[in-house]
Amino acid sequence: MERLIIVIAVLPLVSALLIQLFAGRIGRDIARVSVAFTTLSFLLSSLLLWWALIGYGPQTLSLGYAGTIVLFDPLSTLLAAIILGISLIVHLYSVRYMAEEAAYGQFFVLLDLMTAALLFMVIAGDLITLVIAWYLVGVLLYFLLGQDTRSQTAYRFAFWTLITYRIGDLPLILAAALLYNAYDTWSLATIFAEIMADPYAHEVMGLPLTEVVAALIGFAAFARSAQFLLHTWLPYTMDGPTPVSALMHAGIVNAGGFLINRFAPVFIHSGGVLNWIFVVGLITAVFGSLLMLTQNDIKKALGYSTMGQMGFMIMECGIGAFSLAIYHMFAHGVFKGTMFLSAGSVINNARQDDGIPKDELYTFAVEKQPNKARQPWLLMAAITLAVPLVILVFAHLLVAENYYQKQGAIVLLFFGWVTGAQLIFATYRMRSQNVWRLVGLSVLSLVVVVLGYVFISHAFDLFLYPDPAFRAQLYSAATIDLLPFEVLVVITTLIIVSGWVVTYYMEQSDYSRRQRTKRLWLNFYALISREFYISDIYTRLARTLLAISGRLNVWLRWL
Amino acid sequence: MTDSMIILLAGIFLPLFPMSMVFNAIIEKIKYVWVRAVLFVVWPLCGLLIVFNSNVVIPGWLLPLALATSALYALRMLSLRGVDQWCGFLATSLWSLLWLAVMQDATAVLLNSYALSMSVPLVLLVLLSAGLEQRFGAAYTGLYGGLGRAIPRFAGILVTVVVAAIATPLFPTFFIMLDMVVETVSATPLTAMVLLLIWLLWSWAGARLIQGLIVGRASDVKIADMGNTTTSLFSLALLALIVAGVYLGGVIL
Repeated sequence: MERLIIVIAVLPLVSALLIQLFAGRIGRDIARVSVAFTTLSFLLSSLLLWWALIGYGPQTLSLGYAGTIVLFDPLSTLLAAIILGISLIVHLYSVRYMAEEAAYGQFFVLLDLMTAALLFMVIAGDLITLVIAWYLVGVLLYFLLGQDTRSQTAYRFAFWTLITYRIGDLPLILAAALLYNAYDTWSLATIFAEIMADPYAHEVMGLPLTEVVAALIGFAAFARSAQFLLHTWLPYTMDGPTPVSALMHAGIVNAGGFLINRFAPVFIHSGGVLNWIFVVGLITAVFGSLLMLTQNDIKKALGYSTMGQMGFMIMECGIGAFSLAIYHMFAHGVFKGTMFLSAGSVINNARQDDGIPKDELYTFAVEKQPNKARQPWLLMAAITLAVPLVILVFAHLLVAENYYQKQGAIVLLFFGWVTGAQLIFATYRMRSQNVWRLVGLSVLSLVVVVLGYVFISHAFDLFLYPDPAFRAQLYSAATIDLLPFEVLVVITTLIIVSGWVVTYYMEQSDYSRRQRTKRLWLNFYALISREFYISDIYTRLARTLLAISGRLNVWLRWL
Repeated sequence: MTDSMIILLAGIFLPLFPMSMVFNAIIEKIKYVWVRAVLFVVWPLCGLLIVFNSNVVIPGWLLPLALATSALYALRMLSLRGVDQWCGFLATSLWSLLWLAVMQDATAVLLNSYALSMSVPLVLLVLLSAGLEQRFGAAYTGLYGGLGRAIPRFAGILVTVVVAAIATPLFPTFFIMLDMVVETVSATPLTAMVLLLIWLLWSWAGARLIQGLIVGRASDVKIADMGNTTTSLFSLALLALIVAGVYLGGVIL
């Protein structure tokens, strides 16, 4: 029965082949073939997920050629179901959305191939299949983004994606080669078993192999998930068809989180690599969110929003909350996919009716009509700090009493507290006519989010990593010494609180004082609006390399 | 003949800079497409024949020179516009890496299959380049563009052939490159990294070639697309390459 996991990955390939062969004869009906195969594959994946949920597996299944192995385990079944769910929605959406496209059949072939590549990536039980699938996802995405061959812009940014993904392929290939040389097998299960038995048996250039491999895997994940400095392709790839954007933002870009989860046994023995992953994720989350807020182009704002979310996802891996990253991947996929796919309807509806409700909430949130009397600042500050903390502590106590022994949980709590406090703080600053109502709404939404997040992530934890000792090892691998940890917590708290105080002070200060800082803010805004010049630097570097190439050709007389 | 003379001679066929310029000069001069295609197959095989029949001892300095040659031509491919020249440079970049396999004591059969696997996509590309010349008078990127809409069948085959040539899975060159990285990564990690960089440059050059030909608005002038038979033949050749790739992957990895 577990062999069905091979069938679900092969079905999209069969669909692609049939479409390629019979596109000329059955015309536009080819979309139905594609949708039918994807639906069948999705139903089978749901069945497999159910089996995994009731306790079947994990199992490794050999395909009988060149050591090709697939995995039937919680991670592969869950992600296969998610990928096929999103792919099915994208397929259904594309049937009409792409109907006017000249290369209608080609689009479905590419979509099916992409679905197959993603499925092989998540079920791969050997390093070669994983590397092949990982590589092909980048190549197929390039052609999907460049579906409209008339658009130079689409191809330009599709190329950015391709080259970043290829840069990300290199460390994965290196990691695979190192692991093969050390353990003389491509099988992930065997490699992981040997690592668990003796983690530090091998070294590379004087460093433990596990640390080097973890760093390389982390780097591959960064490129795929648009982490800071490897992110520039993401906000610009909006010229591709909307269904491709949905698939990309909902599924493909999340692959970094998957890869880190797949190599979890390596990361347990990775020294400080998880801490670096946390730092990169944190920087990405901050920069992504910052750049999202300052965009005047809604599509680029969505791109940077995804970048910020990917930062959070990688950050979660960095604190040892691996399963939380998978939940984040799933939640973000559904949310962002919905946003992209409903964009057309929203624009269409807005043309007929602006849809703006003339109620109190709108006048408060958008028109910002100030309230004459404000609540005491100290009272609001106390609520701001206390309410989110109470909710978070309560929620985590329900899940596990010893939660606070894990640094990862504390980081998450801290993040949740700051976010919740920020929300209530912003509510106060907005000067609602009915502050209490807004505070109530904010608290309610925070309760829903936190409880949902905590309980669902805990369920994911139990499903993906049922062994409590393994879960503890994951958190332990992300732990840093207590003193630096506490110092960091204090410093971060001070920075955030002083930020709030400065904001409050600015609010209270008079006009002339604000003028003095205006230039500073303008310069800062200019820097952000140019996206920290990162794309410009890369463009300059690429042009320099092309110029060197051209110069060399002239010198060597094109021979 | 002394070892240095043999290496000098072999360096013309398994390109080592500056002897590598010989092959590209010849390719530029030959106007007959079939001669050019045959040359792409025969050239590296001649090099391997020389190496295997001479029992020459390969000196240590040859590895960096072979890598440098491959990297140099990969870098130079980025600014090329002529499709034939692009094929010549990629061939040079690919074949020079055969020295690595020679130094790893690979068998003659395996090395010949490596050489053939590297050459076949290039032969297909040379034939397609002739098709472009026939239709447009020249095979240059950025000159006409828009082939994706104007002649979609030709464009589809062209893109797949380029993808095969630049060592994309599941084509044979991918597995050859993977094998070379596996063989070198532990002993000489720097070599493995240079190999990966060369691989990256091929992808970049391939994407530039595709964009220069496929992308853009189609011309109003009606151009004949590839016929059914030719498309089927090219498709079969590509399918055979994939099968060969999967087989080769199973053998070497």
